[in-house]
Amino acid sequence: MHRLRMALCLGLVAALVAPVAVSLADETCQSPYLPRLTGQEDFVYVWTLGVEGLGDGSDKLVTVGVNPARADYGKVVSSVSIGGRHEAHHAGFTDDRRQIWAGGLDDSRIYVFDVHSNPEQPKLVRTIDDFVEKSGGVVGPHTFYALPGRMLITGLSNSKDWGGKTALVEYNNDGEYIRTMWLPEGAEYGYDVRVKPELNRMLTSSFTGHKNYMRNLGELLGDEEAMKKFGNTMVVWDFHARKPLQTLAVAGAPLEIRWALRPEHDYGFTSTALTSKLWGIFRKEDGSFEAVDIGDIGDPAKVPLPVDISLSADDRFLFVDSFMDGTVRIYDVSDPRKARLVHERVIGPQVNMVSQSWDGKRLYFTSSLLANWDGTGHEDAQYFKAFGWDGKALAPQFEIDFKKEALGRPHIMNLGSAGS
Amino acid sequence: MGRLALVLALLFAPLGAGAHGGSHPNAEAATSVEAKAADPGTPDLAYELPVAGSYDLPPILRVEDHALLGSDGERAAMLGLASGQFAIVSFVYLGCRDPAGCPLALATLVRLDRTLAARSDLASRVRLVSVSFDPRHDRPDDLARLREGLSPRADWRFFTAEGESDLLPVLADFGQNVDVIPDETGETVALGHVLKVFLVDSSGRVRNVYSTGFLDHRLLIRDVETLLLE
Repeated sequence: MHRLRMALCLGLVAALVAPVAVSLADETCQSPYLPRLTGQEDFVYVWTLGVEGLGDGSDKLVTVGVNPARADYGKVVSSVSIGGRHEAHHAGFTDDRRQIWAGGLDDSRIYVFDVHSNPEQPKLVRTIDDFVEKSGGVVGPHTFYALPGRMLITGLSNSKDWGGKTALVEYNNDGEYIRTMWLPEGAEYGYDVRVKPELNRMLTSSFTGHKNYMRNLGELLGDEEAMKKFGNTMVVWDFHARKPLQTLAVAGAPLEIRWALRPEHDYGFTSTALTSKLWGIFRKEDGSFEAVDIGDIGDPAKVPLPVDISLSADDRFLFVDSFMDGTVRIYDVSDPRKARLVHERVIGPQVNMVSQSWDGKRLYFTSSLLANWDGTGHEDAQYFKAFGWDGKALAPQFEIDFKKEALGRPHIMNLGSAGS
Repeated sequence: MGRLALVLALLFAPLGAGAHGGSHPNAEAATSVEAKAADPGTPDLAYELPVAGSYDLPPILRVEDHALLGSDGERAAMLGLASGQFAIVSFVYLGCRDPAGCPLALATLVRLDRTLAARSDLASRVRLVSVSFDPRHDRPDDLARLREGLSPRADWRFFTAEGESDLLPVLADFGQNVDVIPDETGETVALGHVLKVFLVDSSGRVRNVYSTGFLDHRLLIRDVETLLLE
């Protein structure tokens, strides 16, 4: 038996000394450094803003059952309140999927949940309340992106002027601070981060500072000066060296970034919130990158405010949620320079985040953007909705009313397994 | 016939004779380890490596130098580094069947081993350390045979633990997860883990962690060169 094990081990090593193409990535939006969840997910962990007077009023991590084979399908399985409201927004797994780190954009606290010991009932195991001090003044921890043994966190703002100048911050998985990397001059704003390991390239995007994102949206839209304080750039980095290489002009607050998932594809996508455009980020022959406008999202004159995008694992379909019209538009991006609209559907008022399973058959949507932006010009509906996707149309599966359940405003989703 | 081929032919002869009346296909595959590793130029990187010393590798975490069981059956410090030396630590197990897991780590370490052996300026500064996280099955004799099969040319040491109680503090220290994956009868069929390789300096500080997609011997060498310039 031991000889067989040895033979297999050495055989595999021998095979791999030859060139190998390792398929990377996770259920599409996740860091490529996570173990991939390829089958039917059991849970969706939803990081949810508290609402005053609704339930306990606190931010919370809500676990929703999404496996039709389980008794908890379509139900809220559990929720863990953290006490108080902190502008809960984004969250992400550590590289071993054992923990979820979740941030508060207002007071910059970070909450670490154990989702491994009991995946049905996450447990708050650590709170980091000195992020601003440790990072040297970074405010608004946004994206939580797993790296081997570490968590890479983007900021949105800073404690000096509460504007958009900000940085990337690294922590180890034990919650210890490692380093801060400020965005370069002329491209100081931050939002999302994504890495393409095969190219050793990292992309960052840009939004706005605490002064703007914590303000009432109606007021903000009427303040001409404040509206100038949004990011119009993306930065290409040497990932390994963590050095900025190139600034790309991408007008109108480029938000979520999705690198193509196939290892042989050397491009990525983003959408701009204020100009309602899809952008492709393409590698040129000399190894540098260019940002190309590849299509409008709805009618930009009506400001649909695209907020989240999700790319299918085969790099074919790009799902784009827009907040003001509550619509998801699905583009065929087989030709990445020409986004072709193939389907659209109203999901509900203020649709926000979209996440899909690795096999592309299931999509999940949530409703909330920011506490002071929700309900602007439309009903302040708060929901989690599950849909099936057959490559042509979305089919409703179930939905949960987060108001009726007294939970709050649901935002980012992470897919989990009962056996994780 | 080289030493590796001889060892593997002896190792796999009983298996091969039964099924094929000749050498086992895995043995044939294994004999090609050395030949393929002699050509460390493949595959090409799709990017230019950063210049040594042009970037920082701040300490990520600190680890202890745990005593473990070597492939010679003796207990020894797993790192045992002198000042100015570095260890490249991997956690593997012989039963791993995930091509993007332990075999990928070992294949990268084979390339690294050959490159280090050819670099007189680095060979004495870097130690490769592979630790089994399956102490129940991977005993010192097994690791000795693995070592034989891989024929290290640089300083490459193999360790296992007396038992799980010896191993767990090591895994916790490095933040290396391991999940037992049972079959329907409850028997362990695999050990789930995230592939991680650690670059450790002589003060026990982890200076980088590598995983699938970013595990390349040229990158590891560049990081060592960078640390040597500190």
